[in-house]
Amino acid sequence: MERPDQSYEGRDFGWLVAMSFIFLALVAFALWREFHPGWAPVQARFRAAMEKYGGTDRARAFTPGIKQIWVPKIHMVDRCITCHLGYEWGSILPATLPEPLTPHPNLPYMDKHPFQNFGCTTCHGGQGWATTASAAHGGKDWNDPMLSAGIARRYDLREADLIQMRCNFCHRHDVTTPGMDQINLAKKLYKENKCRLCHAVEGHGGTKAPELTYFGDKDPELVDFTHVTGAHTLFNWTYEHLMAPDKISPKTTMPTFGFKPEEARALTLMLLSWRREVYPPEYIPPPIEEAPPAAAPPH
Amino acid sequence: MGEQLAKLWRKISWSWSPGSERESSEAIVRNLWLHWFPAKITRAAMSWNYSLWLGTAAASLFFILTVTGVMLMFFYVPSTERAYGSIKDLQYAVSFGRVLRNQHRWAAEGMVAVVFLHMARVFFTGAYRGTRAANWLVGVGLLLATLLLSFTGYLLPWDQLAFWAVTVGTNIAREAPVVGGTMRFLLLGGTQIDQQTLLRFYVLHVFFLPAVLWVMFAYHMWRVRKDGGLGAVEAIKADRRMAPKPMPATKSYSLFGLTPGTSVQVMSSTELEAEDQVVSSPNLTRRIVLVFLIVFNATLLASIFFNAPLEEAANPAVTPNPAKAPWYFVWLQELVASTTVHIGPLTISGGFLGGILLPGVLLVLLAVWPWLDRSPLSAEGRWFPSSRKTQNRVFVVAMIAIVLLIVVGVFLRGPNWRIYWPGMPRPQAPTVL
Repeated sequence: MERPDQSYEGRDFGWLVAMSFIFLALVAFALWREFHPGWAPVQARFRAAMEKYGGTDRARAFTPGIKQIWVPKIHMVDRCITCHLGYEWGSILPATLPEPLTPHPNLPYMDKHPFQNFGCTTCHGGQGWATTASAAHGGKDWNDPMLSAGIARRYDLREADLIQMRCNFCHRHDVTTPGMDQINLAKKLYKENKCRLCHAVEGHGGTKAPELTYFGDKDPELVDFTHVTGAHTLFNWTYEHLMAPDKISPKTTMPTFGFKPEEARALTLMLLSWRREVYPPEYIPPPIEEAPPAAAPPH
Repeated sequence: MGEQLAKLWRKISWSWSPGSERESSEAIVRNLWLHWFPAKITRAAMSWNYSLWLGTAAASLFFILTVTGVMLMFFYVPSTERAYGSIKDLQYAVSFGRVLRNQHRWAAEGMVAVVFLHMARVFFTGAYRGTRAANWLVGVGLLLATLLLSFTGYLLPWDQLAFWAVTVGTNIAREAPVVGGTMRFLLLGGTQIDQQTLLRFYVLHVFFLPAVLWVMFAYHMWRVRKDGGLGAVEAIKADRRMAPKPMPATKSYSLFGLTPGTSVQVMSSTELEAEDQVVSSPNLTRRIVLVFLIVFNATLLASIFFNAPLEEAANPAVTPNPAKAPWYFVWLQELVASTTVHIGPLTISGGFLGGILLPGVLLVLLAVWPWLDRSPLSAEGRWFPSSRKTQNRVFVVAMIAIVLLIVVGVFLRGPNWRIYWPGMPRPQAPTVL
């Protein structure tokens, strides 16, 4: 019997074999990549450090994998600790251990702000979802970059000063907050200079000037940078506007208050902290009362 | 030992090799998955040069999209609060989630391009004449369904790119006279893009449109069979009609075999001859697996090395500058922008002219073209025949114009919709810090 025509067998079969090998190679490469994430060597270094300083048992208790602090009630997933594994091991690991394994410093307010409730990004900013360093720290495609020392230097501030901006999401209504010198200074200036004579904030104040309740959510695209000398950031616009309102917005009626640079920086931090951040009530601190007046006022 | 090794090799390298044409045909018609293929296929249709296998590539992409899409559905949450987070989880925490989403994205972008190119191929080869006109119309429907599928999928990551691209797209749709506003309202489930929009786009994307597309695809394939195969078949038939068959010496065509000579000419039949065809199994089946593998490898390669875009979470209060429609609609946005006229304080929106009228006319023209085409039927099934010169030129010009507008819109437009040539510094978008 005559066999049917299979004219395309030779060429097509060769290509089919070639494509199959490429397919296998690609799948193998995808598999290899999946099992060799960028954080794996960091976790190996962490295990070695734990073995060195904490003993074999502690090192053995560590299981590799993506680590996260998940706090559903503030919609937060922080995978920073996939690399920053030393964060809660300050009692064992030396503070001199290089990043990303450096333990978190045991600051006086850490008791009231446990990692389990606040994670990392609540204070530091950055992209908690990410498991690569550049995505987690960087500002590209993420509007809340990590508040690094590098960013702070651009504004003559320390990293801790920048972070106070985020503290004030919850501490907005404190009169003073221990440890928040920048924001405390700003609140004092805000009161002394009677900003609310012209600006309305949270429903109180004048109507002559723009409402400022959620100033920190202002779209930087909608700000006029024509007269701003620094980089085009909302921080610089706000800072320079506080220093010389008539220079940045020539038509403004805002007087020049003659703030010192550090005062204008503190006010800028406070203004940028006024964002529509919604935290559950248990995250809002009880008010710290000012020292009571010496004698009760007469009726 | 050598004998056994040879046997082993035969087992490993086993491939389907039918012993007879009957066996080959039965492999096709008795198989649930293959019976929609013909038992035999023309060599012309098997040619790489004729169809470029773009239809098969489009179907392969759609198959990849269906499978990866169903897998993504196990993770994705169509809620404005959690959609973005679920995409971030896929990107960073789900095993193979990044590759899965990337492949879905790149296959989707590829499908829009390949379906468009497939349409161009059918146009250039005039393979929409006669009974094939109906299938051309189905093809236009498939192109529209592909665009809508891609557009509805664009919103789902709920990032700035998604939110503002859909804002631009649906604002263009609003310019349609009479029905525009209602259409937009129905699509968005309200007057602005919100949870209702996300839900509607999701249902359209994962159920309604794929179902429509699968049904249309099935009909498209059935029509190809009923119309006698690819348009290339017509070119062969035309050749056959022209060539006289060699006269067999032993046969007489006169009444009693009395008339001498070969005066009665018998032209060949319009049917295909045996030598024009090969058996589908394994020639066609192997080829389809090959095309699928090429397409799959291409999308997988792209997915491994290039991440699908994912910007900041959607924020209705912050408009990116510039906000662009998805690339396959950017040419419309470009038309809208360039037909908007400013006369002093007066602005005449180009939304209607560029966004509705022009694309509408193009679409209607595309749909009814088989019935307007006056080129000879003999032009069917060949690339660029001289009798179709004018219409092919017009089509090429329209294609180049659309591609140019897309290139300008995607690559050259910068902040404030200004043109920035390559190398020209673009102003940095201002940020908070």
